[in-house]
Amino acid sequence: MNKTVTINISGIIFHIEEDAFNKLSKYLSTISGYFSKADGGNEIMSDIESRIAEMLQSRTSAVKQVVLMSDVDFVMDSMGKPEEFAGDTSDNTGSSERAENYDTYAGEPIKKRLYRDGDSKVLGGVCSGIGHYFGIDTVWLRIALLLMFFFAGTGLLLYIILWIAIPEAKTTAERLAMKGAKADINNISKAVKEEAEQFKKRMEKYGSEFKNMAARNAPRNSVEKIIDFIGDVLINIGRVLLKIIGVCMVIFGVLFFMGLFGSVFGMSFMTSNVEVQEWIDMVLMDGKDFYLGLLGISLFLGVPIMMLIYGGIKILFKLKYSNRWVNLSAGVLWLFGFIMCLYVGIKTGSDFSKEAKVREKIEVKPYDTLILKLNEMPVNISEVHASTEDHEDYDDEGVKITNHNHDDYMIGKHDGIKYLLGHANLNIIKSQTDRIELLIVKESNGNNKLSATGRAKNIAYKVNQIDSMIVFDNLFKAGNADKFRAQDVNVILKLPVNKVIYLDKSLLGFIYDIENTTNTYDGDMINRRWMMTEYGLKCIDCDGLISKSDYEMPVHPEVPAHPKTPAHPAIHINNNKDTKVTIDNNGVHIETDKVDK
Amino acid sequence: MINSENTKAQMRKGVLELCILSILSQGDAYPTEIIEKLKETKLVVVEGTLYPLLTRLKNTGLLTYRWEESTSGPPRKYYMLTEIGVTYLKELHLSWYELVDAVNKTINKQD
Repeated sequence: MNKTVTINISGIIFHIEEDAFNKLSKYLSTISGYFSKADGGNEIMSDIESRIAEMLQSRTSAVKQVVLMSDVDFVMDSMGKPEEFAGDTSDNTGSSERAENYDTYAGEPIKKRLYRDGDSKVLGGVCSGIGHYFGIDTVWLRIALLLMFFFAGTGLLLYIILWIAIPEAKTTAERLAMKGAKADINNISKAVKEEAEQFKKRMEKYGSEFKNMAARNAPRNSVEKIIDFIGDVLINIGRVLLKIIGVCMVIFGVLFFMGLFGSVFGMSFMTSNVEVQEWIDMVLMDGKDFYLGLLGISLFLGVPIMMLIYGGIKILFKLKYSNRWVNLSAGVLWLFGFIMCLYVGIKTGSDFSKEAKVREKIEVKPYDTLILKLNEMPVNISEVHASTEDHEDYDDEGVKITNHNHDDYMIGKHDGIKYLLGHANLNIIKSQTDRIELLIVKESNGNNKLSATGRAKNIAYKVNQIDSMIVFDNLFKAGNADKFRAQDVNVILKLPVNKVIYLDKSLLGFIYDIENTTNTYDGDMINRRWMMTEYGLKCIDCDGLISKSDYEMPVHPEVPAHPKTPAHPAIHINNNKDTKVTIDNNGVHIETDKVDK
Repeated sequence: MINSENTKAQMRKGVLELCILSILSQGDAYPTEIIEKLKETKLVVVEGTLYPLLTRLKNTGLLTYRWEESTSGPPRKYYMLTEIGVTYLKELHLSWYELVDAVNKTINKQD
C-alpha cells in the first residue's frame, strides 16, 4: 500500500505516489532554478510542464491510474538533465560540474520561497502567499491588512507594493516552492538522514581532495581554506546586514508614507500636520496650481518612498524577480512629479519677485502723555496653527502670554473662508515736525509692481485712538484670494521732541527694536513712560532699574526691588522720594515710604 | 582526455536550430511533433533541449505560435514560421550547404 498525492500539472490532474511526487517536484524546481533568470523562463517552464503532463497522461489509463516512480524516471530520462539542456540559455561553463549533483534531487528539500498564491486569492493572492511562507493562517493576515488600511491607507499601499514585488506562482515547481515541504515526521526524518548522508559524502570528497592537495602543496591549501572560511563568515554577516537594511527600509518607508499621506491629504493622525495642505493652498496661485502642486509633491516624495518599501521587501524575501516596468514607470512618475513641482514652484516664486509698499498716514490728536496699547484680536484659528511655533510662556503671575515672532503667520477661517493673519509691529522714531503722526506701512510681493501694490492695499489693519489712548491691532489680515505673498505691516509712530508716551505691558512682542538713548531692550521698555528727546527716546520712570549715569541712584535700596512685583517695578514720581506710585495689573497704588518703615 | 560525446552534443546543438526551422517550414507543429521528428533522425537525445530553444526563436521573432485545444491532454502550442523566420531559414540553408561542402572538402583532402 502506498500513499498517493493529487497534483495538477498544466491543468491535468494526476494521482501520484508520494515518493514519485517528491522526486518530480524536486526535478521541476531544479529546472525552474536554471531558467528563473533566463528570458522567458516562465514560458519555458510551462512548456516543459505541459509536455510532462502529456507524457504522464500517455502512461496512465483507466486501469493504471497512479503515476509511479518508474513513470517519473521515464519523464526525467526523456526530458534530460536540466544541466544538459539549460546550457542553451545560460553559459555552458560549469554545467558539467553541476551534473554530479543530479542524483541528489530526491534528497534536497524544496527551498521555500515567497510567491503569490493565485489558487486561493481574494485580490492578488498576496495574503495567501505570505501565509504559506510563514505558515500563518491567511485569515489573520487579511484582517491585519484590513486594519492597517485605516491607518492612512497604509494597508492598501503595502498590498499594492507586495502585489508588484512578489511574483505569482505559475508553474507547478513554483507552487511547490511556495508551499515548501510539509513538515511532518516523515519529511523531517528523511531530511535529516539525507543531510547526514550528504555531509558524509562531502567530507569524503574533501578528504580525498585534501590528500591530493596535501601531496602537492599543502601550505597554500590551508591558507585557502582559512580564506574560504573567512569568506563564508563575511557572506553570512552580509546577509544578516542586508536583512536588517531591508527591515529598516520597509519600516521607514511606511512611516514616511504615513507622514506624507497625513500632511498632503489632510487625513492626519498627527494633528500638527494638518496645516501643510492649508499652507499649500495659501501659497499656490489658484485651484489648478493647488492640485498640480499637491499631485507633484505626492509623486515627487511618494514614488521614492514606495520604491524604498518595494526594495526593502525584495531584499527581505530574496525576490530576484524584477519588473522592468515597475522601475521605469516609477522613474517616469517621479520625473512628472518633479516637473510639476518645478513648474508650480517657478510660477509661484515669480509671484514673489516684486515688492511694493503702501504708506498710510494717520493724524494723532496730541495729548501730554499718549498711552499705547495693544488690542489682542480674537482669532478663530480653526485647525490651523501658526507657520512657526507660537512660544507660549507664563509670566510671573502665572498668566499665559504668547510671544509672537514677527515672522509668524496664521491661517484663520471664518464661515469656511480662509484668511491670512500676520503680526504687525511698531517702531517709534523722532518726528521732524511738531505733529504726532502714525504711519502704517503695508508691504506685499507680487509678480509685478502693480499686483504687489494691489495686495498691499488689500491688507486690513486698524489703529484706533480713544482720547489719549492709541490702540493697535496686533494682527493684520489678508484674504485667501491675495494668497500669502510675504505681506507685512510696520507701524511707525513719529513723535515730536518732548512728547511723552506710555508703553503698555500688552505691547510686548509688538514693539520691535525701538531705538532709545539707554539701549534698553524691547522687553524692558514696556510698562514705562518714555519721552522723545533730540537724541531719541528717553525713559522717564526707569529709576532703579537702570543704573546709568543719567539717573540718580535710588536713596532707598528696598524701593526699586519691590518684593511683590519685581518684574513690574514701581513708577517713581520724581522729586518726591517719600511717595511711590505703582501702576500695574492691579491698578494704581500709592504708598509712602514711611508706611514701609 | 577528449570527450567525444561532448563534441557530438555541441555539433548537434549547432544544427538544431536549422532543423527545427526546417521542420516548421513543412507545416505548423507542436513541440511533441517536433521532438518525434527529431528523434527519428537521432538529432535530439533529451527533450528538454527543445523548449529553451523554441522560446528563444519565438522571442527573436523567427517563430510565433497559436493555441489549440487537445482532446487528449493539455492545450497544444502550435509553432509556425514568421516571415522573418522564412527568410532566415533560407539564409541558414545556403550557409549550411556551403559549410557541408567546405567541411567535406577538408575531410576528403586529409584522407
